[in-house]
This record gives sequence, C-alpha cells and structure tokens, in this order.
Amino acid sequence: MSLKAEVTLHTTSLRRYALVLTRDPTAADDLVQETLLKAIDKADTWQPGTNLRPWLFRIMHNTHVSELRRAKTRSDAAPDLPEPVVPDSQHTQLELKQVLQALDQLPEAQRKPIILIALRELSYAEAARVLDVPLGTFMSRLGRGREALRRIVSGLGKGKLAVLKTKGNI
Amino acid sequence: MTQDTKAEQDLGLDADLMAYVDGHLPPEKMAEIEARLAHEPEARAATARWRHHDNLIRQMAQTADDLPANMRIAALERELAAKLQARKRRALLMGPTLGRIAASVLIFTAGWGAHGYFGSASQMAGAEYPQFVSATVIGHQAIQQASVQQAEFQPDEMDAAMDWISAQMQRKIDSPKLERLGYAVESARLLATDSGPLAIFHYRDGEGKRVTVSIAPHSPDQADYKLRVVRLENDNMAYWTDAGLDYSVIGDVNPGQITTLAAAVRD
Repeated sequence: MSLKAEVTLHTTSLRRYALVLTRDPTAADDLVQETLLKAIDKADTWQPGTNLRPWLFRIMHNTHVSELRRAKTRSDAAPDLPEPVVPDSQHTQLELKQVLQALDQLPEAQRKPIILIALRELSYAEAARVLDVPLGTFMSRLGRGREALRRIVSGLGKGKLAVLKTKGNI
Repeated sequence: MTQDTKAEQDLGLDADLMAYVDGHLPPEKMAEIEARLAHEPEARAATARWRHHDNLIRQMAQTADDLPANMRIAALERELAAKLQARKRRALLMGPTLGRIAASVLIFTAGWGAHGYFGSASQMAGAEYPQFVSATVIGHQAIQQASVQQAEFQPDEMDAAMDWISAQMQRKIDSPKLERLGYAVESARLLATDSGPLAIFHYRDGEGKRVTVSIAPHSPDQADYKLRVVRLENDNMAYWTDAGLDYSVIGDVNPGQITTLAAAVRD
C-alpha cells in the first residue's frame, strides 16, 4: 500500500474517532484538520517502519486535550456537547444516546480508553501509547470505565459522583 | 468500599474478561471463558453489555464514513503523505546501514570496487543487486549530494556533457532519450569512483515525477546483467548491461512504465 493510501485509510479512522469525541461532524472535521496540520509539522518525528496509525491517533489525542483545555479556559461550565450524530433506528438511537450520555459522565481518563478500543483500530498496547500511559494503567482504566459505564446505563450505580468517589485511583 | 464497587472493580479488572470481549483470546481460552461465564451470571451480563456498548460506539463512529468528502482534509492528506515520503527517504539515506556511507559522503568515491559498502546497501533493500544499482538508488534519492562529483551540467549544456562523459569513459556515450516520453533533463553529473566514472542523469516529467538514469562502464570480470525490473521502496528500477556499459533507470513509476523508460534508454 502506498503511503498516500495509508494516510487516507488512517484519516478515515481519525474521522471516526473525532466524531465520537466531538459528536459534531463540523467539529470532528476541524479536529481532523488540526491533527493533520500538526502531523505535517511533526513529520520528522515519525519513525519509518513503525505503524503510522498510533502515531496519528496520538497527535489527535494531544490536539483534543489541548482544545479541551482551551475550551475550559473559555468557559468553566459543564461540557455542552451537541446532540449526537446517531444511526437511524429509533431504538438504537435512544440506546446510543443513553450510552453517550453515560460516557460523558465518566472521567476523560476512562472515556478515551473505552472509545479507542470500541473503534477496533488499535491494540491495547498501541492505545496505551496513544494516551501515554503504561499498559497496566490503560487496562485498569478501560476495565473500570467499562464497568462504570454499564452500571450508569443500567441504573445500577448511584450516579457519576458516587461511582467515581469510591473508585480511588482512576 | 461498597459491595457494588467491589463487584465492579473485580469484573472491570479481570484481564481475561477484557480480552474475551475484545476478541484477543486464542480459541481454547475463549472456550474456557465461555464455560466460566455459563456459571457466572454477573460476569456474563457485564461482558455482554460491554460488548454491546462497544458496538454502539463503533456504529456511531462509522457514521463518519457517510459524511461529505472534505477537500481541505484531502489536501492535507496529500501534503502529509509527501512529507512522510520525504522523511522515509531521508531515513533510508541516513539509516543505520546507509548512514555509515552518507556520513562520510563517500558514497560514490567508494564506487564500484567497494563491495562491502554497496553490498550492505543492497542487503538493506532486501535483494542482491549489482553495486552500481545501489549507487544509482542513492543518487536518485540524494540529488543534492554532489560533493564527490567531477562535473555537473545543466540542461542547456547537454552536448558538452556528453562529450565530457564520453571522454572520461573513453567511448561514445549517448544521452538517455527520455525526451520523447515527455521527460525533460534537469541535470547530468559525472561522478568519480575507484572503479571508474559513473554518469547520472536526472529527468522530470510534466507532473514533476523524477526519473534517474545511470551509465557506467561494465566491469570486464563480471558477467553481463540481463534486463531486470525490481521494486525498491516506492520506486521501480530496471538495470542491465549492454555493449560494455551498465545502465539503470529508477523512478516512482509502475513496472510497465519503467520498462518503457528502459527501452527508450536502450534504443
């Protein structure tokens, strides 16, 4: 596969990840563009022979974190995410909305592992490198996050604060 | 710690259950976990929901594929691919194997006789090529590295270039005739090597694609090379021996095009 084809393939994956992160097609494309601009700027840091995908995902992760920080500076209010883009089926739509709302209740450290693994674009080790955490920490955050998500969606938990306060090290 | 939280942590921290949900287990281990889940309803419910939530998130992510094409993103993709390609070429030149050569800028002075040098370059490329082929590959990728050349000629000096090259090689050398295929010569270089002169011609077509041709005297103690087309990194390359001269042509073109280019050079 040519490098151009590889970049195009990975951009498709980045767009998917960006859409889940932002829930808004325009914001997602903005995030992808910003990521590609940074990747162009950092092209010399890529090691030929290594997988391009985790490298690009890591740039997107860092870009998104920076944007969240900037947004937080602008407004310290709770995140005001747009209505999610969802599949057509009404039942699925409702279910997805519920899951996304529950996902928003999780801390960032748990939310991103869940999304990265759900996309099935990266291995555990690659996803851990994208988020710049040790593999053990990543697995712990993924597991705790998944279980917290399940309990929030199922109404088993006592809400975000109760779940998180008892969690200790996230 | 509440009972709920304890159960949540136990399930969430079970690496086998994670790997099961994500399909990272070998078949025998999968069967083992499935047998276990048959007796553990809470774990069975949890893994089913984790997988279901993953599916929903992935389904939502895939709606990105239906978004309208974004021309700005497409342009950035092209720019990034070009940058990464350049990065790859530099790494090839400056990598652990070729770095030894490039660092001393003795690529061409080492020349034909430096079997160890070009042997390494060839091995790195994953094939057994004649030494002159490696030299041409490097010459193609390092157009600016001309510190060991004897002479360089611009497009309007090609007649003088061919006279000079012919004199150095002590035989009549014809320029590669790639103009009829839409290529324009950019420069010609004559490089000094221990084993003799090596002429390198750089061409570019209307779309900016570069093709490099090399010509050098064939070593009399070597058998002639029959025409061979090989893939190297992102370039295709043809090389052969004809009438006492070794030729190679390299460019980012497909195998059919490289054969056409080789035929034009031979003609």
